[in-house]
Parts: sequence; C-alpha cells; structure tokens
Amino acid sequence: MNEVVHQTQQSQPEAQRNENREPAALLPAVDIFEHADALMLIADMPGVTRDSLHLEVDNNVLSLEGEIQLSMPEGLTALHAEVSGQRFARRFTLSHEVESEAISARIDNGVLSVTLPKKDNHRVRRIEVKAA
Amino acid sequence: MFGDLKRFDTAPAQRLDWFRQLIDEVFPDGRAADIRAVPRGSFPMINVARSDEAVHVYVFAAGLAPDDLSIDIQDNVLTLRGRREPVAGNDEQSRARPVFRRERASGEFVRAIALPDGLDAERAEARHANGVFEVVLPKREELKPRRIEVQVA
Repeated sequence: MNEVVHQTQQSQPEAQRNENREPAALLPAVDIFEHADALMLIADMPGVTRDSLHLEVDNNVLSLEGEIQLSMPEGLTALHAEVSGQRFARRFTLSHEVESEAISARIDNGVLSVTLPKKDNHRVRRIEVKAA
Repeated sequence: MFGDLKRFDTAPAQRLDWFRQLIDEVFPDGRAADIRAVPRGSFPMINVARSDEAVHVYVFAAGLAPDDLSIDIQDNVLTLRGRREPVAGNDEQSRARPVFRRERASGEFVRAIALPDGLDAERAEARHANGVFEVVLPKREELKPRRIEVQVA
C-alpha cells in the first residue's frame, strides 16, 4: 500500500500530463505471445509513424503511445467516425524476467512489433540426455 | 475533427477495464446507439468526412499493404475486401508456446458503406500510408457549393 502511494506521488507530473490528454486516447488491440527467448507484443496502431510513436519503459511499466498522423485537407466535416481520437495509448507491466535494456521495436504499415528478450537465466534450455 | 462524433458505439467503454465493460453489458445505459454503429473489434474501422470538393474515406487497416485491400464502388456502395494474415506465433512450430492475448483480428473481411449521392466514381483515388487507406471520391461538378452573387438592381 505504502509503495503504491509513493509511486503515485513520484509520477504526478506525468499523471497530470496523461490526464489532460486522456479523453482522446484509443486502446490499440494487441497480441502477446511467448518465444523460447523472448516475449512478443504486436499492436495495431494504424496511422502512427515511426516519428509519432513513443515507447518507454519506466519502473517495469512498458508504455506504448502513438499519435495518428493523417494528412487531411482543410475544411473537412466528419460524416461518420469509428476512430474518434488522435492517439493510441496502452501500458503493460513487465515481469522481472524481461531484459528491459534489450527491448527492440519496429513499426510497419501501422503494426507495432515489440520484442522483449528474456534475461539469460530465464530462457528455455533443453537438457540433452546422454546415453549411459 | 472526428472526436466530436459518437458513431462508434463502444468508444467510451473501450478505455475502461473488463469489469466495467461487463457491468455495462449487463446494465446498458439506455443511450440509443447510432444506427450505423459497429460492434467493438470490427476490422477495419472507417471514418468518412466530406469537403466542398470531395468525400474522403479513411480506412484504418493496420498491417495491410496497398495490394492487400481491394476497393470497389458499385451503385454508390463502397466495398472493402481483404485478408489479413495472422502474425507469427500461429504456426505449427510455435503453437506449443503460450499466447497471452489475442485481440487482433485476422483472416478475411468485407465491409460495405453507403456513400452520399452525387460522387464521381470515375475520378476516385486511393492512397495508403502507415496502415491507413484514404479514398478520395470527388463530387460531381453540379453538386459543389456555388456562391450566388447578388446583383445591384
């Protein structure tokens, strides 16, 4: 409990910042699965470019944020909107087995792939059985 | 610009946690859903806007290359057809590995939307960038707004 309170105070400026932008944030759909040596996270973020994407690991929390970049001409009026927001945001808590220094990511056609490598001692290791 | 429209039935609930969603389903809030609202998770999602010259259709189809989506217009109905391949992790070799979340749609899809009257399908164009397709359908000349000058009597 104390720990939670402490963390909240610590990240207050950030929380305020998030609060201001919160109404427009969309939740991207994700797939998460595991390989022998890494966790893979795939997120749909259409319209997000490499420059408008913001990935961060802080205190074991991975945040994905991306601004939708559409080149829209002036003077448009909306007729129908299923995507009603300008940005995607989602956060995940990482487990201790992830090597946060070695996380890598790429974005391709609006699909973000994040590779979260496991620490050496958490990798799956097959033990060969020797013939006696 | 699209933020003020509430055509996506579940947009507010989308941000909330599963428990809130469950409660909302059991006790719907009674607000009327838009007649054209789509259920959560529809793929691809579509925004439509108009300007004085044209109607713009934005198709949010992450993961589709330009060749993966076919766009047809017939009788003022725009039909989007395509297929999104499932990501790796679905193949035989990795099937034994655990999957923790699978929220992204994959497989074939078809979506059709009715367009406003008076568009010139012959001059329609489509662009693609970062997983968003933009289809621009110009209005016919006679439907563009025109200013009428008042003559001095």
